[in-house]
Amino acid sequence: MINLVHNELIKLVRKKRLYVVIAILAVLVCLFTYAQMKQVESMQERLGTLDWRTELQQEITNTQNRLNSSGISDEWRGYLQIQVSQQEYYLEQDINPSAPGAPTFMRVFIENAIDLVLPLLVVVVVADLVSSESSAGTIKMLLTRPVKRWRILLSKFLTMVFSVSFIVLSMGVLSYVISGAVFGYSGWSLPILTGFAVEGEELVTTNVRLIEQWEYILMELGLSWFVGITVGAITLMLSVLMRSTAAVMGVMLAALISGAILSNMVSSWETAKYFFMVNLRVTNYISGMGAPIEGMTLGFSLMVLTVWGLVALLVAFITFTRKDVY
Amino acid sequence: MKMNLVTVVASLSIVATIVWIIGLGMTINDQLLQESSAGSPPASTSDEAEQSSDTFLLALGDSLTRGTGDLQGQGYVTYLLDELKSRSDQSIQLSNLAVRGYTSEELLNQLEQTEIQRQIAQADMIFMTIGGNDLFQGGQALSVDSAFIIENSTETYLENLEEIYSAIESANGDTTVYHLGLYNPFNQLDGAEMTSSAVRNWNNESAEIAAKFDHVVFVPTYDLFQLDVNDFIYSDQFHPNNEGYQLIGRRLAALITLNEGGEGDE
Repeated sequence: MINLVHNELIKLVRKKRLYVVIAILAVLVCLFTYAQMKQVESMQERLGTLDWRTELQQEITNTQNRLNSSGISDEWRGYLQIQVSQQEYYLEQDINPSAPGAPTFMRVFIENAIDLVLPLLVVVVVADLVSSESSAGTIKMLLTRPVKRWRILLSKFLTMVFSVSFIVLSMGVLSYVISGAVFGYSGWSLPILTGFAVEGEELVTTNVRLIEQWEYILMELGLSWFVGITVGAITLMLSVLMRSTAAVMGVMLAALISGAILSNMVSSWETAKYFFMVNLRVTNYISGMGAPIEGMTLGFSLMVLTVWGLVALLVAFITFTRKDVY
Repeated sequence: MKMNLVTVVASLSIVATIVWIIGLGMTINDQLLQESSAGSPPASTSDEAEQSSDTFLLALGDSLTRGTGDLQGQGYVTYLLDELKSRSDQSIQLSNLAVRGYTSEELLNQLEQTEIQRQIAQADMIFMTIGGNDLFQGGQALSVDSAFIIENSTETYLENLEEIYSAIESANGDTTVYHLGLYNPFNQLDGAEMTSSAVRNWNNESAEIAAKFDHVVFVPTYDLFQLDVNDFIYSDQFHPNNEGYQLIGRRLAALITLNEGGEGDE
């Protein structure tokens, strides 16, 4: 088994996909770091102050002004309202939700990457794990070895798990190292609030508690990893079902992008919450930003993701062990 | 060399897998299993609010302070700030917390927030417009039969106004509040007599309340817009345009003298 996984890892490294992923991440992090830097600068110039309270209050007031203007969709209004109540709560507790520093950048970056960037990177690596063997014909060589088919697929599955771990790791390390050059490397022990609950358009703060930022980031990374594994499992299934890597990527791309769009407009279509791609933003539950559809909770989303992942694996294993290869 | 790289990637991945599983476990443990055990709101970790020596201007109120209708700047406060900056080399900070559509009731609620009170406590001067939405109800022209509504809303407005003044005074007894009066945006429309008298009454009674407080200065704007109102009104026929805002800014600037080290220090 170890040899099989090792063999798969050699293929993975030789194909240089991981370098592409790291390069994409590095470029994105540089971009966002620069954007963030510019934003901080312009804010300071406008307010003439470094006090985060004044800045945050200004942000709240700006949002309230937007809320009071016409032509704003209900979904967006609800989202903004929750954001305002949360920011007000942070102010009340005298805790800066965005104290400058690399860990803060990292936290926000992960939150924003979890539903699109990270899954896409996983797709890039996983999409051709099986399908490339079919299209290149090497699958025959692989299957003629005296190894059970399910073991071969299991080795591919483990390779997928490892690459997801590696991608999440690179995401964490790169966002920390690069942004730290600008914002400084400290801030691991800053307090962060978690435990917000959203009911309708109200923010419930009865369960709110403080945790240190490193715990929060570790939790976020754990969730990202889980999302990555689910997406990876579905991609692996498609990779078994289709011979063309491009087709696998196309389908996954469509699914992920439709998920990103759907989460902004499905609040009235309740059954959409059973789609895996609407459940990807699981970090929103620990930051307390509310779910796209009423009734979605962290437990629910993890459940949906688990079921999708398991079903995908089941389909992948059954198909792979039974299909004729010619 | 190739083999080494594979080993490195493999071992990193295995370690990372374990760490991420721990992270996921922590999340599930923290968020799903301990939901009820929490409930102790965090203690404040205040790093003491530093009182800066800069002059700090605070703007409160509704869309007129926000600057709705001004396509170039951000309302009269920005023009005022520019004017003050050109006069003095002190550094001046401005915080504009006005929200369009605010009525006196909503402003009163806003004043209860800790952060707003903190900023009031730091403010050397406060600029404020309020009441426009109470009177005109969101910019709709007054119809003749709304006289009764005006009567009613005046009363609650005046009560709220008095509470607003006292809330500011109790948060900071040294600061000066410049409360800008209303103008009549409908001066050149039908029924101007009616609206003008309503606005005049409204201003008079606000000024009466303001007179009860030592640090409140009621600044009229009615006269600024009395003639040629259409030259100074934005296309929504309600808010001032940039020239209108410049008028207001200049009027305020004329009232303000900057002492060395900021106003209200002694």
